[in-house]
Amino acid sequence: MAVETQVEMPMARAMTSRERRWRSWPQTPSLVFLVVLIVVLCVTTPGFATAANLRGVIEQVAVVAIVALAVNQVVLAGEIDVSTGSLVAICSFVYGNVALSQGGAWLPLCAALIAGGAIGAVNGVLSTYGRVPSIVATVGTQFILRGIVLLAGGAQVLNLAVDSRSFGAGAPLGIPTSIVVLAAIFLAMQWLSSHTTFGRDIYAVGGNSRAALATGLPIHRIRLLTFVLSGVSCGLAAAVLLGQIGQLQATAATGLELKVIAAIVLGGTRITGGRGSNVSPVIGAVLVGVILNALTLNRVSGAYELLVLGALILAAVSFEGVRQRLSGERN
Amino acid sequence: MSVTTSLRRLTWPSRDAVLAVLFIAEVAMIGILVPGYLSPYGLLDASRQFAEVGLIALGMTLIIVAGGIDLSVGSLLALVSVTIGFSFQAGLPLGAALFAGLAVGAAGGFFNGVMVTSLRLHPLVVTLATFALYRGIAFAVSKGAAVSSFPEWFGIFGQTSIGGLVPVQLICFALLALVLALLLARTPFGRRLYAIGNNELAARFSGVNTALTRIIAYTLTGCLVGLAGIIYTSRISSARGNAGYGLELTVIAMVVLGGTRITGGSGTVLGTVLGVLILSYLQDGLTYGGVRSDWALIVTGAFLIVAVLLNEIFRRVRR
Amino acid sequence: MSAPAELLPTAAADFALRGVGKSFAGVFACRGIDLNVRCGEVLAIAGENGAGKSTLMKCLHGYYLPSEGHIEIRGVPVSFRSPRDAEAAGIAMIPQEVDLFPELSVAENLFVGRKRPRARWGGFDVHAMQLRAREILASLKVELDVAQPVRCLAAAHCKLVEIARALNQDARLIIMDEPTAALTEREAENLFGVVAQLRARGLAVIYITHRLEEIFRISDRLVVLRDGALVAAGPTSDFDTSQLIAAMVGRPLEQLFVRNPHPPGETVLELRKLARRGQFTGIDLALRSGEVLGVAGLIGAGRTALAQALFGIAPADSGEILIGGRAVRIRSVADAVSLGIAYLPEERRSQGLVLPFSITQNISFAVLARFTRFGFVARRREACFAQEEARRFSIRGADVEAPVEVLSGGNQQKVLIAKVLALDPRIIVFDEPTRGVDVGAKTEIYAVIDALAREGKAILLISSEMNELFSMADRILVMCKGRVTGTFERDEFSAAAIGAAAAGVARSRA
Repeated sequence: MAVETQVEMPMARAMTSRERRWRSWPQTPSLVFLVVLIVVLCVTTPGFATAANLRGVIEQVAVVAIVALAVNQVVLAGEIDVSTGSLVAICSFVYGNVALSQGGAWLPLCAALIAGGAIGAVNGVLSTYGRVPSIVATVGTQFILRGIVLLAGGAQVLNLAVDSRSFGAGAPLGIPTSIVVLAAIFLAMQWLSSHTTFGRDIYAVGGNSRAALATGLPIHRIRLLTFVLSGVSCGLAAAVLLGQIGQLQATAATGLELKVIAAIVLGGTRITGGRGSNVSPVIGAVLVGVILNALTLNRVSGAYELLVLGALILAAVSFEGVRQRLSGERN
Repeated sequence: MSVTTSLRRLTWPSRDAVLAVLFIAEVAMIGILVPGYLSPYGLLDASRQFAEVGLIALGMTLIIVAGGIDLSVGSLLALVSVTIGFSFQAGLPLGAALFAGLAVGAAGGFFNGVMVTSLRLHPLVVTLATFALYRGIAFAVSKGAAVSSFPEWFGIFGQTSIGGLVPVQLICFALLALVLALLLARTPFGRRLYAIGNNELAARFSGVNTALTRIIAYTLTGCLVGLAGIIYTSRISSARGNAGYGLELTVIAMVVLGGTRITGGSGTVLGTVLGVLILSYLQDGLTYGGVRSDWALIVTGAFLIVAVLLNEIFRRVRR
Repeated sequence: MSAPAELLPTAAADFALRGVGKSFAGVFACRGIDLNVRCGEVLAIAGENGAGKSTLMKCLHGYYLPSEGHIEIRGVPVSFRSPRDAEAAGIAMIPQEVDLFPELSVAENLFVGRKRPRARWGGFDVHAMQLRAREILASLKVELDVAQPVRCLAAAHCKLVEIARALNQDARLIIMDEPTAALTEREAENLFGVVAQLRARGLAVIYITHRLEEIFRISDRLVVLRDGALVAAGPTSDFDTSQLIAAMVGRPLEQLFVRNPHPPGETVLELRKLARRGQFTGIDLALRSGEVLGVAGLIGAGRTALAQALFGIAPADSGEILIGGRAVRIRSVADAVSLGIAYLPEERRSQGLVLPFSITQNISFAVLARFTRFGFVARRREACFAQEEARRFSIRGADVEAPVEVLSGGNQQKVLIAKVLALDPRIIVFDEPTRGVDVGAKTEIYAVIDALAREGKAILLISSEMNELFSMADRILVMCKGRVTGTFERDEFSAAAIGAAAAGVARSRA
């Protein structure tokens, strides 16, 4: 007699639980797209599948991916960070200057990590306790930091000594150092996300911040820590970048933030928070790297890079938006 | 009590007065610190630069009041400029090229509006994407080159003045500021913007077509960007793809400084104008005083953050 | 109506409220409530909408601080500053709306905010968490895949997860607020089984509902709230349906307002088999001009959904709507407005008014075109109109230029009514027009509705207050779970019959 008053998700009935979980992995579409793209490129573009080219792509991807893994956590918690480009620039400055005066690689790294973490903390405080929307706060710090870097560094280009380039140059056991670092960070993030209270709470805060607050989770502190994480990863990325390039420039990493956001969005993490995995930003970074590489190989001028990134982000979020609309206006 | 007063209630009671005082104090201080700054010609001439930014800030006010945001205005400016320059270079008569520029501006704004409303995407992400997309298109079209071969008369928009003193674009800005102030405060459209920014659900329940209203706001801003692009290109007599870099930051900072809450629902054009003046003369004073342009980045970023923080504090104190 | 039964002796009560009351801005939502519950017992709290049930439970759960009275646990007075304190003391609340974390798994939802079992090497022991989740669910005789994210679950299962969460927090008292509101009959049955399990395990359960058959099925004792006061209490076996309804609605057919009777006119609105998936189905309705058709029903019956379909906010999927005999399509608010339909939304603060706007601006908002000349709003004419409307509806408390957020609930509601009526509609749908409104304003609003009917408007009055419907309606339509379960003419009005129809109980039961 009673009307069936709720709509059950069709998935819950039709599939086994394992099927369902695979189907609902956020990174599935992008992974599929990536594989298809790589296959197409291998076939159509000579020069793509060469060791030298792939190595170059991988090195670029590594830097983006390291930052994207951390900013992914910020997005999962429901915020956003677009200051990463300038953050990497400042951290590379810190790294470079410490390396030039003290030598070595680990001391400069520590300095860069601390600098990154501190600035990340500022972003975090502004966005949480300061009630400044994170987009505004991080856009603001992005410009402030870039200004500082340009003022401090000017047009100078400094060269680093070889022993300061440990994090980006070289290839122990044949694997590029950048990849080793990336793998280490990935594992660390996986551990964070699945086995620490902090990592799980990030999903809770991003998924249902109201309930999280009611449950007593310290949502401000959690969000702040994600910004610190983002800053620290920028410090690390700076070390890797400097290792790769060997030179310090005030204009380093300009435009990185866009690649990072593109990587996160393309990988499948939901921009409103609460949904996504650690694999997503890595896949997204690879996708961005491969697409940009395809442009370069096809002699498309570098000017198109921005255009392509913008179009990609738009396409990715539109796709997600249409999907949500079709599946019934899920809020 | 008049309706305007009750609309003013939406912001801090004498905030505009505070801003006006701040502005005067600022100019005075710059005048003291930087000798030779306080000349009528110099002060008016500074408006050549802020008129462009100001026009865009007027549109941005409408968008933010309605609860949205637009990060792509700087890139759109570049695209407009490039459209003007390169279509002219390709043989189009300059008048038509200007028209094309305006059309591109409007189209860019319209696209933003449609993406934000039709798929219910967050304006942040959409305009971040178009920020890249529009500039990308500008770079692609210009291929890094610039067009400077404009005829003499093109300078009328950006380089001439009335009576040898008042720059044309300042008049343009003042007129449009007036028009938009009236639009926001005294027309049904303006009411609808405030309503949507405050309580979108109630607006929809009242029969307001919220999607259309938003699209109009974004498109109008796009048109203003188009106009600003014409003035800008005329002023520097050159069309290039890296115009307006960082412009969106400055514009948002000005709007927020003027008292518009970043989350929407309140704000006035008068406040924005004051914000434009304060920030512009600060930057102008710094430049005149020989401070490096990189400082401008730092100052603007800092102002943006401080302005939002202050807005929040004032809001708490009022309650 | 029996006097409130005696309270259990203090020593026997595990959880008690003594003289608890809560007021908002000087108006008491509930007052002087004494009730208690023992472990191993199910206490039902019955009452109509607005009786104060939810507010009372929010006090018990620490969401509100009581304005008077206190809470006792095992005879010891306690004070909660937040729901966390209440949960630490063993009181858990299952709210009406599902409040879980959709992306986390079932097992994880049980552990958010709590210490998770650790594995030897430092991370979580995911298996231990899942094991515990399965254990708890098994104790409720429920089997679920605990590794799947909650967003894949049906609403009924989400409820179970919330109960499991409460159990994982070592709750000794579980408060359930209308748990079957979104469940099918079969799912509700399962839930009753779970409640029985909880009782058997020695937990105390407070079950808020206004579904009568549920009260009789699962509760040991019950209390009835009406207008914020406790009006009946005792073992469930002491009550029967009619007594319960009588307690819930007060003296039946109590006239809050005397209307001037007049014959209705032509049929203005007709609905034939109107349906919207998941909300309502098979709605047949005829409304005449000058008539007030009351729409009764419980939460979740689909009344608001029907109103919103009529108003174009959430259009119907199938069926016909005829206005003045002509079939029409209503796909948007603009359509509805052009057809002369107006809707007074249920939530005035979040759906109806723009709080920072002035009274004038709110009233004129839907009809700004009328005051617009050469594109500008003529402020003085607008203000004059607002003054007139304020006088007409007795809106008191502020100048018409004051923002509506400073007004009392009753005055805010009048502003909303003025706004809706400014369109001069033919058909008006009032959705809970006197909710949260003081008695004086209520009477004034009734006078307005009566005057509108006399003018020949056709009125749909959605209300959860039986007295209101009895006083104001010419006919009453009852909905339950999306269907029409009864229509009553004025001479057929009976609280028992209407209550039964609203609860979906078969008509033959008196």
